[in-house]
Amino acid sequence: MSQTLTASPAGRTLAEIRPHRGRRQGTVYLFLLPATAFFIGFVAYPILWVFDESLMRAGSDGVRHFVGLGNYLATLQDPIFWLVLRNMALWGLITIPVQMLIGGLIAWFIERHTQQWRGFFRTMFFLPVVTSVSVVSLVWAQIYAPYYGIAQNYLQVLGITMTDSALGNPATSIYALIVVNIWQWTGFSMLMYVAGIANLPSEVLDAARIDGARGMRLAGSVVVPMLAPVTKSLLLLGIIGTLQTFPIVQLMTGGGPSHSSEVFGTDIFRQSFVLGDTNTGATLSVIVLALAFGLTLAQIVFLGARLGGRRAAR
Amino acid sequence: MKRTIALATILLTSVAGFAPLKADQKEVTVWSWFVQSTMQNSIKAFEKAHPDIKVKYTYYNYSPEYITALKAASASDSLPDVIGLQPGSLTQQYRPQLEALNGPAAKDWGDGWQDKMFPVNRKQILMGNPPGDQNIYILPQESQDLVIWYNTKIFEKLGITVPKTYGDLVAAAKTLTKGGIIPMFQGAADGWQNENVYLMLANQRAAGLVDKAQKGEAPWSSPELLQAMKDWRALFTDGVFQQGALGAHAYPTGAQLFSQGRVGMMALGSWWMQESKFPPPRSQYVQNMDGFDFFYMPALNGSDHASPPVGGVDIGYGLTKNGGRNPSAWTFLASLTNGEGLQEALNDLNDLPAFVGHEPKGDVSPHVKAMYDRFMADLPKAENQRFAIPAIADALDSALAAVASGSQQPEDALKAVQDATDKALKS
Repeated sequence: MSQTLTASPAGRTLAEIRPHRGRRQGTVYLFLLPATAFFIGFVAYPILWVFDESLMRAGSDGVRHFVGLGNYLATLQDPIFWLVLRNMALWGLITIPVQMLIGGLIAWFIERHTQQWRGFFRTMFFLPVVTSVSVVSLVWAQIYAPYYGIAQNYLQVLGITMTDSALGNPATSIYALIVVNIWQWTGFSMLMYVAGIANLPSEVLDAARIDGARGMRLAGSVVVPMLAPVTKSLLLLGIIGTLQTFPIVQLMTGGGPSHSSEVFGTDIFRQSFVLGDTNTGATLSVIVLALAFGLTLAQIVFLGARLGGRRAAR
Repeated sequence: MKRTIALATILLTSVAGFAPLKADQKEVTVWSWFVQSTMQNSIKAFEKAHPDIKVKYTYYNYSPEYITALKAASASDSLPDVIGLQPGSLTQQYRPQLEALNGPAAKDWGDGWQDKMFPVNRKQILMGNPPGDQNIYILPQESQDLVIWYNTKIFEKLGITVPKTYGDLVAAAKTLTKGGIIPMFQGAADGWQNENVYLMLANQRAAGLVDKAQKGEAPWSSPELLQAMKDWRALFTDGVFQQGALGAHAYPTGAQLFSQGRVGMMALGSWWMQESKFPPPRSQYVQNMDGFDFFYMPALNGSDHASPPVGGVDIGYGLTKNGGRNPSAWTFLASLTNGEGLQEALNDLNDLPAFVGHEPKGDVSPHVKAMYDRFMADLPKAENQRFAIPAIADALDSALAAVASGSQQPEDALKAVQDATDKALKS
């Protein structure tokens, strides 16, 4: 055994092999270089740059000064920040479960109750996901418009007159946007559940049926638990998607009226590009990054997602 | 084989379509949000006059594309030679990367060149400069005058005359609504349109007071500005603006409805005339602007006069430090703002010139020409519509939306604007 460790099959000693192995390892590291350089250039450096900006403040003379956590304290004292946080919480708490629920139900209906039209239904429900956000926002702005809007045209038949736009009312604007978001992204949840349902082992379902499980009992005790990996993935993607929300809000309300539908994306854009305050924009970006990191970590800890291959192999 | 031939044809066609620089040609790069077709006409005219210079224009939508592209290019020192700008905050953001234009302008146009600019433009191009800095970093190309446009054919059909008082305006709105027409379309989801209307109201109450307030020389709680905020709220509650205005956008929704004859009035600017030059199909109202005319915000309750003209620079251009190293860049900038490039923009009725002595030529109907002359006569009297500090404009936008929705009282809303002004002027 020791001989196999110290000498090569050709009879060379370990000392003779080592330089060769070292060269080979060096070659291996060279293969890692492009990915590492890409990571450093396009991920690590921008993050560090943004972090650096968040600790600085540009004076009226354009010169940057170190202010420590000053930008963070100012951001936390800004009432708009807390409004944004409330909106983000509402966005995540409403959109993620509703999309999952509706998407899951549609997927179940399509996979279990359609045959010939299965492809058609999948495509139709997925269509909003691949539709341009600009188009979606234009259409929904017209739907919400009172007096001359699309919904009003139909409601008129019933003698109902819309007197206000949900988008224009500070009390309802965020909910109006959440509805649009749910409409657009439910198809994605559906597709994920379609894949999950298609992979359900039929023998388990058959066994459950033989044991008398039907309808809600079958769904609640067998199907839903077996689709847990899909649900967890959707939860993770939903949280990340919530924090990244930008185009639909920017196009439909611009975060208004009076910041009532402001989300992190629009607030960062407003600060950095409209008001020209890069430092506050960077501060908000770091806070979003920290939130995303914290929420993902919490999910891994509480929902038992695997951290890495080594632990999984045990 | 057929496929190969087709691909080769496409490739050859695209190569032929891409006109590379000739050996003796210099290139000027330009970025802006300016209407692409009009800019191409300006470039064509310029290149005809200067065959040794080729202009490469990149068009962006203003927000978010243009302002993000500028920011990224500025950070990487890759700004083009000439960039489209608005006076005030946008110009000030890029001031360190812009060349002062006083020298080249005086050299080409003589020492008195600034006197040929409309007074409001002269004021606006220096907005936000540090104290004592008289350098000009933005050259205005076009000016605008904010007014209330109305559909003359609908007014005639419903027997409405041009409102002279606020009471007339409310009565006109009611008649329009009864007739199934949107009274005055307000894209109140857009801060810019709200600002424009508020400026009409505030300048009627006290001309120039907003300008003083944004400089910290007058309080936002001044009785006239407070009254203007109440006037603003009344436009919603009295049914002058359409229902649900706070969720509506002026473009494209409002503009489309207005051009189709579904709207009676809309607060826009002199740029609305360009609708008549857009490619067909054009509605009967837009054709030669036959269905449109304008008036100023009529006398409000307690006032004896209509709003004064409010406006200034529509769009201007700056010469970047990169452009400063390219002599052809100034040649193009001069043409675009005060030469053959500008003439093409005016011929397209894009807006009014920034310098006196220019007017549109070619296919312009007598009605359009008459309106154009009225605008030109009013422009020298125009009050400033621009804000030097974006944080103040942002606070005013927020205040206007809050008052319009009834979620804030005018007094509280203006206090928030005052706080934002104090903070911005202090920093």
